[in-house]
Amino acid sequence: MSNILMLAISAILINNFVLARFLGLCPYIGVSKKLDSALGMGMAVIFVMTMASTITWIIQNFLLIPFSIGYLQTIAFILTIASLVQFVEMVIQKMVPALYKSLGVFLPLITTNCAVLGVSIININEGLSFIEAILHGFFAGIGFTLVLVIMAGLRERLEWADLPESMKGLPIAFIVAGCMAMAFLGFSGFKF
Amino acid sequence: MGLLKEMTKGFVKENPVFIMALGLCPALAVSTSIANAIGMGLAATFVLFCSNLLISLIKDFIPGKVRIPCFIVVIASFVTIVDMVMNAYTPEIHKNLGIFIPLIVVNCVILGRAEAFASRNSVLKSVFDGVGMGIGFMLALVLVAFFRELLGAGQLLGFQIMPENFQPVLLAILAPGAFLTLGLLMGLLNLFKNKEAD
Amino acid sequence: MSYYLKLGGVLLLIAAIASGVLAFVNGFTRPIIDENRRRAEEEARQEVLPAAEEFTLVENDFSYYIGYDSGGEIAGYTFLASETGYSGIIQTMVGVDRELKIRNIKILEQTETPGLGANAARPEFTGQFRDRRPEELILDKEGGEIVTITGATITTRAITNSLQKAIRSLSEDLLSSSGRASNIITE
Repeated sequence: MSNILMLAISAILINNFVLARFLGLCPYIGVSKKLDSALGMGMAVIFVMTMASTITWIIQNFLLIPFSIGYLQTIAFILTIASLVQFVEMVIQKMVPALYKSLGVFLPLITTNCAVLGVSIININEGLSFIEAILHGFFAGIGFTLVLVIMAGLRERLEWADLPESMKGLPIAFIVAGCMAMAFLGFSGFKF
Repeated sequence: MGLLKEMTKGFVKENPVFIMALGLCPALAVSTSIANAIGMGLAATFVLFCSNLLISLIKDFIPGKVRIPCFIVVIASFVTIVDMVMNAYTPEIHKNLGIFIPLIVVNCVILGRAEAFASRNSVLKSVFDGVGMGIGFMLALVLVAFFRELLGAGQLLGFQIMPENFQPVLLAILAPGAFLTLGLLMGLLNLFKNKEAD
Repeated sequence: MSYYLKLGGVLLLIAAIASGVLAFVNGFTRPIIDENRRRAEEEARQEVLPAAEEFTLVENDFSYYIGYDSGGEIAGYTFLASETGYSGIIQTMVGVDRELKIRNIKILEQTETPGLGANAARPEFTGQFRDRRPEELILDKEGGEIVTITGATITTRAITNSLQKAIRSLSEDLLSSSGRASNIITE
């Protein structure tokens, strides 16, 4: 049990995918302008990351390794993720069309979210078991969503801040991200 | 647009990192040293060159509905080739870039150029566009790496620049430093752009 | 129906060609990659146990190399120690003498934070492990003598843990195999 807790704390706080591993930055900057679309995107990403971790683990251990075609890992993984995202897109379009509208082009862009491919590869590199990989994907998604939602809250406030012209938009977003990263640095070395 | 313009537009005016905010993940992760930045930049440029070339060559054979997965397979193949070749011939850099080599496949710059340009333009133009974007990407990475390596390790390209008693700004090498450097550079760039517009 | 077949067919064709090209490139890069790794380990082995001239592999539950000096006597043993550090697996090549005292160590692979944990690879850090017994591998923070890298306690601890575990595995294997024939593989 404490193993799972440690895995969760590590994936969400200590080695946060966005602020410590630099994965998932494009949507982090692109979608974090409004709180509800940030939350919607986060949910979709959690689902995709968990499913991707599951399927890619199976592909690696039942297809790539037994047949010695490890070098096809990148292609196999990214095609899996692209199909998964396509599927999620169809489901959201049918079931929550309002969310589908507000996410717009960023939904298919989950395919290019480095966090999804990243967690799949990290699961393999760190030799995680099947259950560990699934959990890691899930918690990493939560970490991503957490940071995304915090960022959205901050940026909504920033709209009203008195900033020099040149800093408005992207520059101040990155400065804020830097401050958040500094705050999260405080989690490193955390153990119980 | 003249062919040369297709290439140089990627350097500043349509710089993928600073202007279009693409390819951010490697821009922050890999810019801890100029050597790594150059390594990643060259790898990405190679992939851009090859994928833009191939995609604009076969664009008429790819049905519209499956074009994104097809682009992805093409890009992923070149990325895998780069991964294998770097692992064999430049193992040091390969180790330093680590997971970010396979992540080139989700570098929005490459898929972005494939979709926005190579699938609609001639082979020659696409090649110049690809190389230009790649160089622009590399320039952005090197610029960020310049500050992070100088302040965070007192070195440039491994050469000690700062005097012996220089206390390195560890923050520059760590994650927050990456965000702050990029944000400040973007702000600076905006400043120059606005001044020009006046 | 045939429309979807055509869609799938094009994708499949491209994927098939891609796989073929990659198999080809893999064919000539894989041997080089394997050779690089083999040579790096060989050099590391020599570095951590300079007194040895010849190495023979022993592959039991725990794998290690016996190093023989120029006179044919056992100079010591070399083996790999692995542990997950702060951001990935740290792999260390260890050389010990016959009494299992550390001769030297070399960090082979790590992806720790540059400027912090990554400094573990520097001789200033690895040098302090020379002539240490397994019992002496305690961090200064915990009353021992191993100097912890500032801001990289996790990295330091991972390395010392991996050394302790590996040396323990080695001594267990040596004790148990002194009574039976082990799988010595001569090169």
